[in-house]
Amino acid sequence: MSRASARLGAPRLGANVMGLALLPSALFFALFFFLPIGLMAVMSFLTGNPVVMPNVVATTRHYERILDDPYYFEVMWTTVRIGLYTTVAALLLGYPLAHLMARVKSRSLHALLLMAVLMPMLTGIVVRTFAWMAILSDKGVANQILQALGFAPMQLMYNEFGIVLGLVHIYLPFMILTLTGVIGRIDERLEQAAQNLGASPLKAFCEVTLPLSVPGILAGSLLVFALAISAYVTPILMGGFQIMTLPILIYQQISANFNIGFAAALGMVLLVLSMVLVLAYNHILAAVSGQRDLA
Amino acid sequence: MSARIEIVGVSKSYDGAARAVDDIHMTIEPGEFFSLLGPSGCGKTTTLRMIAGFEMPSEGIIRVGGQDITRVPAHKRDMGMVFQNYALFPHRTVRENVAFGLRMRKMPRAAIAKKVDEALAMVALTGFEDRMPGQLSGGQQQRVALARAIVIEPRVLLCDEPLGALDKKLRQSMQFELKQLQKTLGVTLVFVTHDQEEALAMSDRIAVLSRGKVEQVGTPTEIYDRPATRFVADFIGETNLFRGELVGTDGAPALRVDGHLTLALPAADGLSGAISVGLRPEKVRLTPGGAGAQAQGTVESANFQGGHVLYRIALAGNRHVLAQSPNDGSGAPLAAGTPVSLGWTPADLVILKD
Repeated sequence: MSRASARLGAPRLGANVMGLALLPSALFFALFFFLPIGLMAVMSFLTGNPVVMPNVVATTRHYERILDDPYYFEVMWTTVRIGLYTTVAALLLGYPLAHLMARVKSRSLHALLLMAVLMPMLTGIVVRTFAWMAILSDKGVANQILQALGFAPMQLMYNEFGIVLGLVHIYLPFMILTLTGVIGRIDERLEQAAQNLGASPLKAFCEVTLPLSVPGILAGSLLVFALAISAYVTPILMGGFQIMTLPILIYQQISANFNIGFAAALGMVLLVLSMVLVLAYNHILAAVSGQRDLA
Repeated sequence: MSARIEIVGVSKSYDGAARAVDDIHMTIEPGEFFSLLGPSGCGKTTTLRMIAGFEMPSEGIIRVGGQDITRVPAHKRDMGMVFQNYALFPHRTVRENVAFGLRMRKMPRAAIAKKVDEALAMVALTGFEDRMPGQLSGGQQQRVALARAIVIEPRVLLCDEPLGALDKKLRQSMQFELKQLQKTLGVTLVFVTHDQEEALAMSDRIAVLSRGKVEQVGTPTEIYDRPATRFVADFIGETNLFRGELVGTDGAPALRVDGHLTLALPAADGLSGAISVGLRPEKVRLTPGGAGAQAQGTVESANFQGGHVLYRIALAGNRHVLAQSPNDGSGAPLAAGTPVSLGWTPADLVILKD
């Protein structure tokens, strides 16, 4: 075989192999992502489940019901609000730690920090949420300490605070790992150059590292927000059904009311809602870090 | 405008490990082009970073313009710095990069615009104001870094291997430009490099560093012609090193290298015991034929380098000497195996400290 033909053959073979390697993931996404979402979209416009009911017809009544009742807007807003609180809290808590992890010189300290961040992920969400309940419930550890110190007991769970706390605890590692990767790729000398030109360490951080880490802030926030608004276990356990979010509502419609069409419509609303927010967030951050209007 | 830098007994060690910089003393005069030269790990970059304020000396004092700045944070030192890989802000345009230092100094907008234009004109980058650093070539990025450092009119300009990433032709032209710019501005410039040719070509004075210590400080000609130590002689250019026992008398000292070779030394005081001497290849005169002069040998190989020929000469006793002859256009270099005699004057031998 001549060298020329080998060279011609190689990329075609490579492309074939890559295509082949992509096939499983393409199948996976088609079967378990696009198909269910498509089915859900169809179901949201039907009067019932066509598998068990022969005479279903097309309808928009599920969406009309959502639009007519302000209760559902309230649930939507609660869901988004919990998502926002969780994202902001995770960002504020996670950024300094991610910065430290990205900049720390000692390898052993870095490994230690990484382990501390990852360790909670080795325990199941349910277990961790029950642990929070033991701490935060009305007669829990936190309130007993408060009372022993002479303070009035506080309601620390069965409210949004408890849910957000539980969610932050679970999703913080996602924020930290995403941010660490991005901050670690920013050359430290850029901050030194800024300091050399007269910027205080804080100013140098704000002028250089912070705007350059916007892609990480964006990615981490989207990840945490998407996970938080679709969270189900933590809002149920920490909220004790006192706080209603869209995922809880959807679950109730399926398991208690058997109204699959309405549940599908709520699911579509959750999907559209998060997509709109993601696009808006992307747009705003891109404009803010538009990199030239800062100067 | 420009300032004197005094480095007094400065040492730096990390976590109690071996000293990266070990008791350095030097004074850099105002307006001087001063190079810190040495192999990697010699402490030259650490020294520069201590002057810039990115590292704190473990011991010693650094003064700039008579003022002790050892504990002054980097952003209050008023020094320009050109980083090894330029460290341009990738999210800012060329104009914003250059304007950064002036903006930090809260200068009015109009004045900033004027100064930035002047600085960019000085490095021949007018018209590139709105490009992003990623859209520039290496040489252009280098100029932006330079403009960004000089636009703040610093007392001191620090350069950390600024030309290292450029190709050879571009490096040479930037050497001339940087030197010219430094003379025009009259700024004190501290230049870190591992490239001895670059240091010799550009500097007013050079400090040669090895393992955290200063081996020698001097002008390029002093460093090259009168190296103080074995390390300097070996590191700067090519050199033939000989080591042996002192023989002969005070009036006519000589160095007995081995049974075959004894070198007449220049008259000097206080010589005793084992001594090293250096001999530059270009000081060795080759004459075809076997007799006379200081030593005899045969050509082992000839390395034609255009302007000159570098010969490797085999001497008796399995010893080799490098000799450099100018290419005078008289024809092919001496063939391998040609017997030659080697000549030099005792004054060409430089006595070296270990």
